[in-house]
Amino acid sequence: MATPAAQLRASTPLPRTRAQISLHRVLGPDYRLGYLFVLPMAILVVALVAYPFGYAIYLSMTKKYVGVPPVWVGLDNYIKLTWDGFFRRAVVNSFVFTFGSVAVKLVLGIAMALVLSSRIRWRSFWTGVLLIPWVAPTVVSALNFLWIYDYSLGVLNYLLVRVFRLLPHGIGWLSEPGTAMGSVIAVNIWRGFPFFGISFLAGMKAIPGELYEAAAVDGAGALQRFFRVTLPGLKNILIIVTLLSTIWTFNDFQIVYILTKGGPGGATQVLPVFTYEIAFGAQRLGEAIAVALYMLPALAAVIIVLARYMRRGQRT
Amino acid sequence: MDRRLRGLADQLDAGLIARREFLRRAAIITGGTAAGLDVLRRQASAQPKTKLRVWLFKSFVTAGNDVVARHIEAWAKERNVEVEMDWATFGDREQKFVAAIEAGNPPDIAEMNIYGPMRYKAALRDVSKVATETANAKGGLLPFAERAMKLDGKFLAVARYSMTTVFFIRKDIMEAKGLKPPKVYDPDVVEFARKAQDPSKDLWGFGQTLNRSDDGDSFMSNILWNYGGGVWDKDGKPAIGTMFLKQNTAALQFAVDTIQKHKIQPPGVMGWTDPSNNEAYMAGKLVTTNNGASLYYAMVSKKHELAPNTLLVLTPGGPAGSFVQSSCYNWAIFQKTKHAELCEDMIRWVEDEKRFSEYLQVSVGQAGPVYKGRVDNPYWKSDPNYDAILQNILRCVNIGYPGAMTPAAAEVQGQKVLTDMAGRVVVGGLSAEAALKEAHARVEEIYKMRRA
Repeated sequence: MATPAAQLRASTPLPRTRAQISLHRVLGPDYRLGYLFVLPMAILVVALVAYPFGYAIYLSMTKKYVGVPPVWVGLDNYIKLTWDGFFRRAVVNSFVFTFGSVAVKLVLGIAMALVLSSRIRWRSFWTGVLLIPWVAPTVVSALNFLWIYDYSLGVLNYLLVRVFRLLPHGIGWLSEPGTAMGSVIAVNIWRGFPFFGISFLAGMKAIPGELYEAAAVDGAGALQRFFRVTLPGLKNILIIVTLLSTIWTFNDFQIVYILTKGGPGGATQVLPVFTYEIAFGAQRLGEAIAVALYMLPALAAVIIVLARYMRRGQRT
Repeated sequence: MDRRLRGLADQLDAGLIARREFLRRAAIITGGTAAGLDVLRRQASAQPKTKLRVWLFKSFVTAGNDVVARHIEAWAKERNVEVEMDWATFGDREQKFVAAIEAGNPPDIAEMNIYGPMRYKAALRDVSKVATETANAKGGLLPFAERAMKLDGKFLAVARYSMTTVFFIRKDIMEAKGLKPPKVYDPDVVEFARKAQDPSKDLWGFGQTLNRSDDGDSFMSNILWNYGGGVWDKDGKPAIGTMFLKQNTAALQFAVDTIQKHKIQPPGVMGWTDPSNNEAYMAGKLVTTNNGASLYYAMVSKKHELAPNTLLVLTPGGPAGSFVQSSCYNWAIFQKTKHAELCEDMIRWVEDEKRFSEYLQVSVGQAGPVYKGRVDNPYWKSDPNYDAILQNILRCVNIGYPGAMTPAAAEVQGQKVLTDMAGRVVVGGLSAEAALKEAHARVEEIYKMRRA
């Protein structure tokens, strides 16, 4: 049988190290259990995001052909791209495509939200109708527009020339450099503006009605109410939706690929299509990943701003 | 009767065990035996069948797809093999191959286009034995097919058929205007198209896109060769903007002139993709176009009103002759397969002349010969339009001509350098010479990278 002194020694907890005490203080008493809870997500993030991303960065610094081991070339792919005229044109086209689309989607989205928040008949019906472009599969929409834009067989020229007689002859919507980019942007706008509209509509419903009443009492007109009450109330959602759409539009592949494949003569060549061409046409995987990662810093900046706004929304 | 049951019965008869005990023990023996037999049966049926993953090309000639699938299923049944068939189209086959090879999980065997053996050389198995055996049995390979299938002295694929392009003409319009089929592009096609077209009715004399597409790319290759030029010299070095600059300038200028100067093409032609000319022709908007036999198949199989009014003739040429880019579909076996012999057996089965003839009959001219022995098949005389397909195949040349077919040549084709070049003139406003020099820089870059 143990002596009382020995029993006391056995039941006394071992003295903690200074590091353990400070971890305890900073992370809380259950920090070990916390690690356990976070572990599955950490494994998922490492396996599905960090590892592929790291591997992609590595591959972008190699010369990698299909079925052949990669050969390390350092920053050669990035340097070569910097001076490549086709790549630079794809960068310019990507910015034109993205900002052209997002700007119009923003305006149309606000208009859609304002109309749907007013007292119109069959509001639910119109909301559903306006959401169709957003819910329809992109491939289906793009293939339909391929037909709509066709010079000889398309409905657009048919309407403009034969029905409304607005033009003496049709327009090669996807074959002329002046109209090709505008045409693909139009499809992206058609597909994307309902997302803006429905998000803004939700944001508008969260603005207290008292603010509008107070503004009306103060003599504010409709425009003033929009600029002084609605827009400030939508500020956060407007920024988040715009940034999200910027990222999505910048990475949009399907619309351009199906409609023009980057043609005619590279007039609509954007970075995702260029990446695809290098990867599957040329089968230079290292260089293709370098194309995809080249714009990463710019997109990362957008993502950081977006994350900051989204977290601000959480805190409030 | 089971020996143990007999023993129990004897014990019961001798009064050594009670009836109840007999039933109990008999039940145990019978149940145990039944359970044991079931386990044995399950083990026997669990012996896995050999499984083969076969990737096939889904062509527009759907009847042909059905026939080849049926042949493979019959082979699998005969050999007691489980076959998993997957299909890839013009638009997604390269992506599928790239993804499968990079993931280390390619199929056992696949049907590829002419560039496949060169593109995926590192992942393919030497099939010289079955390729030589097949070729010998069919009178030998046609030269273009042998050059495409045999790399560094080894066959990396077994040739199957050639899908070439021909020149489609609206016979009814040609006859109504008293015209004859054109032999060369300039001036024959231009004059033919001018006389036959009626832009006021949206009927155009010639439909050939120069936009990024396989159709546009093969036309550009052909037209450069027709004028005595090309992308490569006979040693396989870039010559598009140097040695052949003069010839290529004339060829490119002609191609652009069909749109801008002669105005024999529909205004939207630079926005066309591969199916666009098929649709326009079948909609009665074109008098002539270049296309593969699949367009003829589409019209014949649908009993389209233009099928009997369509004449297929040799692709027109130029000052230096008449050239057509080759095509050769083939079977390639991947190195990773554990069933190479089965794959070879499947190739022998499908390429058996009786079975191939069945495929040929439904192909409406798409399955052109790659073996000398198939050239004389009476099928090619069964429709006057098939002769143009056959003759085009017999004179076709591989990319890289006058040099060898190289990975760099395949990459220039894959990156659509030639159609980009044409596009830079038509929509970018560059001169033909400037566009050729720009293209030369791209070709030179590809050449250097591939050599390195």
